[in-house]
Amino acid sequence: MDRNWIVLGVSLLVWGLLFLWLVRVEKRVKELERK
Amino acid sequence: MLLRLSLFVWISVAMVVALLKAPLVPVLLETTRVLYFHIPCAWIAVVALGWSMLHSILYLVKRDLRHDDHAAAAAGLGLLFCIAATVTGALWAKAMWGAYWNWDPRETSIFFVLLLYTAYLALRSSIQEEEKRARLSAVYSVIAFVAVPFLVFVVPRMYDSLHPDPIINRRGKVDMDPMIVLCFNAMLVGFTGLYFWMQSLRVRVSRLERRAHAA
Repeated sequence: MDRNWIVLGVSLLVWGLLFLWLVRVEKRVKELERK
Repeated sequence: MLLRLSLFVWISVAMVVALLKAPLVPVLLETTRVLYFHIPCAWIAVVALGWSMLHSILYLVKRDLRHDDHAAAAAGLGLLFCIAATVTGALWAKAMWGAYWNWDPRETSIFFVLLLYTAYLALRSSIQEEEKRARLSAVYSVIAFVAVPFLVFVVPRMYDSLHPDPIINRRGKVDMDPMIVLCFNAMLVGFTGLYFWMQSLRVRVSRLERRAHAA
């Protein structure tokens, strides 16, 4: 397989996981701020 | 949420174009890919540490703890991005120079920046009293940032280095394929957006922590 695709896959996976984690943290922060 | 999703799409598209469409830099060849992550990380480290200094000055002027929250969050994130720049730089160095660490002027400089801001966080964690911690760390942050432009921009240019010229080289020109420059700029904008999102989250968490301690 072309190495470009491997690098791209890993990069998108890491970025996607970071994004989802940040969205979850923001949601939790909003909940705590409302309390 | 729309802004967050736009950021996600922006960085994802920039990654796809950078890794699949942009040509390789002739000297760097396959290692060109690392630079789309390495340079934005280094850029954000400088932006964050500057942001920390700015809010430290504001704290010393206004004595408002909200500025201390901003300064601490920015220093922590600056250190995080500095570590990311060091790791990606070390991977690149292994591929280009055959060793992860070579004590090149730029590597030595970033090592000192890491030490400076690790000491900042150690200083903060060693003081319990809130006002005293904010005051001392604000003074430290201002003094530490004075060294950053010298370490990042001046020292690496004073000595011969294995490190390639920065994007804007010594002749003040950008000698790169327009597609590569476009991808670099897109990644820089994306990473800047990501940094300010993380910064705002960290500050909000700090406020919640203070509220919890006060209760």
